[in-house]
Amino acid sequence: MGSLVLLNIRQQFLLPQRGMHIMSKNENIVVELENIGISFDDEVILDDLCLSIKDGEFVTFLGPSGCGKTTTLRIIAGFTQPDTGEVIIDGNRMNGVPPYKRQVNTIFQRYALFPHLNVYENVAFGLRVNKVDKKEIDERVTAMLKSVNLSGFERRQIHSLSGGQQQRVAIARALVNNPKILLLDEPLGALDLKLRKDMQIELKNIQQQLGITFIFVTHDQEEALSMSDTVVVMNEGKIQQIGSPEDIYNEPKNAFVADFIGESNILDGIMREDKLVEMFGHRFECVDTGFEKNEPVDVVVRPEDIDVVSESEGQLSGVVSSITFKGVHYEIIVDINDFKWMIQSTDSPAVGDRIGISIPPQDIHIMKKSEYSGMFGDYSTFSDEMELLNEVEVDGEDET
Amino acid sequence: MKSSFLRRLINAPYLLWSAIFIIVPLVIVAYYAFTDESGNYTLSYILNIGEYKEVFIRSLVYAVIATLITLVMSYPVAYYMSRSKVSTQKIMMLLVMLPMWMNLLIRTYSWTTILEKTGLINSFLGFFGVEPLKLIGTPGAVILGMVYNYIPYMILPIYTVMTKIDNSLLEAAEDLGSNGWAKLKRVILPLSLPGVISGITMVFVPSVSTFYISQKLGGAQTLMIGDIIQKRFDALSYNTGAALSLIMMVVILISLAIMNRFTDDDDGGIIL
Repeated sequence: MGSLVLLNIRQQFLLPQRGMHIMSKNENIVVELENIGISFDDEVILDDLCLSIKDGEFVTFLGPSGCGKTTTLRIIAGFTQPDTGEVIIDGNRMNGVPPYKRQVNTIFQRYALFPHLNVYENVAFGLRVNKVDKKEIDERVTAMLKSVNLSGFERRQIHSLSGGQQQRVAIARALVNNPKILLLDEPLGALDLKLRKDMQIELKNIQQQLGITFIFVTHDQEEALSMSDTVVVMNEGKIQQIGSPEDIYNEPKNAFVADFIGESNILDGIMREDKLVEMFGHRFECVDTGFEKNEPVDVVVRPEDIDVVSESEGQLSGVVSSITFKGVHYEIIVDINDFKWMIQSTDSPAVGDRIGISIPPQDIHIMKKSEYSGMFGDYSTFSDEMELLNEVEVDGEDET
Repeated sequence: MKSSFLRRLINAPYLLWSAIFIIVPLVIVAYYAFTDESGNYTLSYILNIGEYKEVFIRSLVYAVIATLITLVMSYPVAYYMSRSKVSTQKIMMLLVMLPMWMNLLIRTYSWTTILEKTGLINSFLGFFGVEPLKLIGTPGAVILGMVYNYIPYMILPIYTVMTKIDNSLLEAAEDLGSNGWAKLKRVILPLSLPGVISGITMVFVPSVSTFYISQKLGGAQTLMIGDIIQKRFDALSYNTGAALSLIMMVVILISLAIMNRFTDDDDGGIIL
């Protein structure tokens, strides 16, 4: 693949009208969702959702199954109409406008390639429907297939292609129409790990080269962090947090976000004063301000930010209850005052050792109490096997 | 050696069944078609087929018209059914199948009571002082009878193929700019073609060889080749009947071969 291919895409599809658009009226907000609400069979799927997406942004909707991320995508595509609220694309109200009148293309979860058409005709589909001149169709399809490395596959039937090739056809079929916005509904879910990683990089590169808006849906937090400019974390039909991947990881807004993105120890604390939080009767220096005096808070400490020290040097101390080698680091579970902490460290104490822990002030993150307080963040029931089981369950589920 | 013997043994009941119920009757038909009353070989019955040219053409025309009407009526129903909720699908399926639980003769007979001069429709019209219409005994009545009786055989195969069309394909078509018409033309029609072909086959074949419907709902002017064959056998002229049957079969085979040229897809279609 590599940069040569991407250069191709740039030359062929970076069209002049894009520049004109940026200068147009509504700054550069390309999608706006205002107070979107929708329910199916009395079950609330989206609840008063508000969101603005900038032109040229790579936005990811991230959340567990049933959080409403796919529904949000379908509302932008036009397949689903919201019960309440406004959908504004490129400055125009789009409520009730059918998908075929929207300048938006979608890459579907299982690609939805047309089985009765060959590769060439699949890619040409959108152009043929829109009555593009035959010669132009041929030029654009051929160029597009070349840029996704499928030259020579024109006459192949869809069912004779591998998963990765089908994925490329799906990308080509969408991009050949020069959409303003590309929607991607868990497009990498069906690929194996290696191919998935390659496609992540490739998609990100395509997006950067073309400069069009990508809205990407996934339940894979790592995928979201590594590809996106902006991550929208969703749960139970509500947006939990919007921010850059760094913000989401380093400054989670509540216990749900902290738990869903990466590993975290989430503890009960009391904010004694600005930059001073108390946990387990011990006061820790931190860097957060703006809380009431003695306000109960959730405290997040990432496992990799905890230093293992000798018992006497530690701010807190406890007994190692398990240790697992993970390659780069050891994963240590330590029982401190009946709370199981997860620590990732290159040190390897033995099970049963008493160790101390020390946390640098800038690595203590304070969050307001929320509906998710107390639900996550303790590793007392943690095991690798459980983690694996949870993962499988999420992978297998389909979303409405 | 042993395994191939075993295999033949396992296949034996099927081969026997085929022989008794398919090959033997065909051979008997062919035998009668090529012999005269005293059992001597002759081509005269086959060659005399010209006498029945009109009836053959009429049968073909009626069958083609009935098949087309059935297709046009069934296609939207099948599409609507396949896109409905599962519970709705079940109810509609039941409604489609329900008439088939009754005997064909009874179903056809009940149409005569609706269509005849003193029947339901004419009594109703007479109520408003309208002169009774000639409904029964017309080609229209015969075609109506065929459409009514054979429509389930068109709906079911089309419906079956359509349920296999994934909704995401229709969404993809819409996403790529297709309105309703383009979606139908470019995705639904091509993907449902195997069902359409089997539907046409399953309606055309019994229509072209039908005999009872044309007798009950039609008249002397609407007799079809099936009626003639039945009459010849009733009159114990087996040789003419067999010759006509054989020609009929050839006509059907040719029709199906022509139809097969429209599809090279082999799943879903019940073809030769």
